[in-house]
Amino acid sequence: MKQYLKNTWEAIWTVLVGMKITLKHLFMPSVTIQYPDVKVQLPDRARNRLYVNIDDCIGCDQCARACPVSCISIETVKGMPTEDLGKTSNGKKKALWVTQFNIDIAKCCFCSLCTYPCPTECIKMTDVYEFSEYERANLLYKFSNMTEEEVAVKKENFAKMEAEKAAAKAAAAAAPKVPKPAPAAEATKTDTENK
Amino acid sequence: MYNLLNNLIGNEYVAAVIAAALPLFVFILPFALAAVLLERKVSAFMQDRLGPNRTGYRGLLQTVADILKLIQKEDITATDADKKLFNLAPVLVFAGCYAAFAAIPFSGAYIGADIDLGMFFIVAISSLVVAGILMGGWASNNKYSLIGAMRSAAQMISYEIPTALVILSLVLVTGTLSLHQISEQQTAYFWNWNILGGAGLGFSKLLLIPFMIVGFIIIYISSLAEVNRTPFDIPEAESELVAGFHTEYSGMKFAMFFLAEYANMFAVSSVVAALFFGGYQSPFGYLGNTLGISWLVPLEQFFWFTAKGMFFVLVQMWLRWTLPRLRVDQLMTVCWKYLIPYAFVNLIIVGLITLL
Amino acid sequence: MNIYDIVFYLFAAITLASAFVVVTARNIIYSAFSLLFTFFGIAGLYVLLGADFIAVVQLMVYVGGILVLILFGVMLTNKITSVQIKTGTLQVIPAILGTALMAGVLIKIFTGTNWHSQMAQYPTKTTAYALGHILLTDYVLIFELLGILLLIALIGAATIARKEEKAS
Repeated sequence: MKQYLKNTWEAIWTVLVGMKITLKHLFMPSVTIQYPDVKVQLPDRARNRLYVNIDDCIGCDQCARACPVSCISIETVKGMPTEDLGKTSNGKKKALWVTQFNIDIAKCCFCSLCTYPCPTECIKMTDVYEFSEYERANLLYKFSNMTEEEVAVKKENFAKMEAEKAAAKAAAAAAPKVPKPAPAAEATKTDTENK
Repeated sequence: MYNLLNNLIGNEYVAAVIAAALPLFVFILPFALAAVLLERKVSAFMQDRLGPNRTGYRGLLQTVADILKLIQKEDITATDADKKLFNLAPVLVFAGCYAAFAAIPFSGAYIGADIDLGMFFIVAISSLVVAGILMGGWASNNKYSLIGAMRSAAQMISYEIPTALVILSLVLVTGTLSLHQISEQQTAYFWNWNILGGAGLGFSKLLLIPFMIVGFIIIYISSLAEVNRTPFDIPEAESELVAGFHTEYSGMKFAMFFLAEYANMFAVSSVVAALFFGGYQSPFGYLGNTLGISWLVPLEQFFWFTAKGMFFVLVQMWLRWTLPRLRVDQLMTVCWKYLIPYAFVNLIIVGLITLL
Repeated sequence: MNIYDIVFYLFAAITLASAFVVVTARNIIYSAFSLLFTFFGIAGLYVLLGADFIAVVQLMVYVGGILVLILFGVMLTNKITSVQIKTGTLQVIPAILGTALMAGVLIKIFTGTNWHSQMAQYPTKTTAYALGHILLTDYVLIFELLGILLLIALIGAATIARKEEKAS
């Protein structure tokens, strides 16, 4: 009997306590962030869309090797010794033409492992997180800013040089596999978007 | 109401149709629209969210949009469902809820049917809802629907008993079953409400107060269970039964169940308000009487009645977002081992006090 | 034609049609659910006879109690999915005899009664007070005896249910 009355009292009392708590919350300001209108301030090291500053890229392929899901594909062509490829912003001399620097962001797992090995810190995570597309192909970001013609010229130059070398050495040097001409037409466009 | 319309129009058929249809269009539909929005807003605020706020000013048109969507939706009937019963069930459930509104006194001047057995009628007619729910659950030919319907019916029948006992104790105090008269007795000030011992004066009024409060708590809990609201919403427990007895329903038929649920919420709230909180009576006297404008009084009464009903609907929502769902055995324990004994003791004591 | 007449014919039609379905339907569920409408129609007829209390009790006890009990009985019966819940025609000759006897009695009553015809009407005064008064004065013994009978039935049901539980 005592337990019975105690149970009753406890039931009513605990319900009232709970109701007090919910009533308190009824008048608390909401914590909702109305996303498309208001955007949340991302933390400093948030990992979102990748961006490559192609001017700084030396084509070392370290990021592509670090990628656990192989979403980065880089193709390079050696520059002619006579050509000046320019310098990166931290003073490294470039030796390779980056003919193709594609990131398939649909595959990307946002681990940020590619950003650490980069010697020039040209590949980095940005705070852009709205990049949904209607076509999956649009998620293949092309960062190389070389046009097809340029690529073709560089390749030709390189092949010529190789051929000259080969002719000069008259030896069966390991011929580099002929890279296919990469469609890099959109590279500049994507680049500006990333800004 | 019918008599008034009959005198006004002069044609009894038209008067009957209008009197029957009036609560639906004047009250239930707008109420359901408002209550669904209120439910979503209240739940949102209690969880520190914002709730619907895109459709119309601060989301005010959200439920209108929902209803439009429901009307447009395809009316799906499961292949193995029992078509006749499947189509009949929502109608029956809604009819049961709607019939209860006939006896609810919205104001002194507006009662669908001022029958002397009003309270008893409301309790009895809700059994149509039970039958309709069982019908829907069975006809869906779906185990979740059937289990939901069974639970719902078992629950509603069990909780009818404490409700009836409390109503009985109220009848001992007021001496009538007519909601109109019960409201009329609790005249215009709040200290005349039944929760504060009714309109009588003297020692018995003071004695009655604690037992009236107990009665109010009992009837409020059991009315929550009768309309399948949390914490007694095991018939539609989402985590176990998808949506209970209306799992298979879609489009307008679902909307009818939905409407019936909200209509029922208001019906039980208004019954509680009428029994214990003065019904349509204003707590502070009437402006119309003070100013000498007699037509203002019924409007004020309508306002107060709606306000009280809405308040108890709000408390139902408040409880919904406070308490978790009870287990089936706990549900039955609460009813049979706690509410019914308390209601019986309460009935006896109230009876003794009224004999004094 | 008065509006109450229309309502009367409506309720009478509901009662008769659903009663017909109760008897003829082969599916027990259909029978049970048409019984709902029969009860409902009868409640309506009671109202028109001025017996509002009986009408509400009819709804409460028969629709809310007995009908739901029947439905529960049908729906909770074991292996309901594998067995066709339909009724067939059996015991034709005894049934005919019984029906004939019943029909005879009914016809005798129909013809022998001096029918008191009255306009169907809306009850203006509640019968609850009068009923309560009669039950607790003139018929108090019968009332108490019925109460005891029901209590015995209740205890008996509980006992049977418990015994089964212990055995298993």
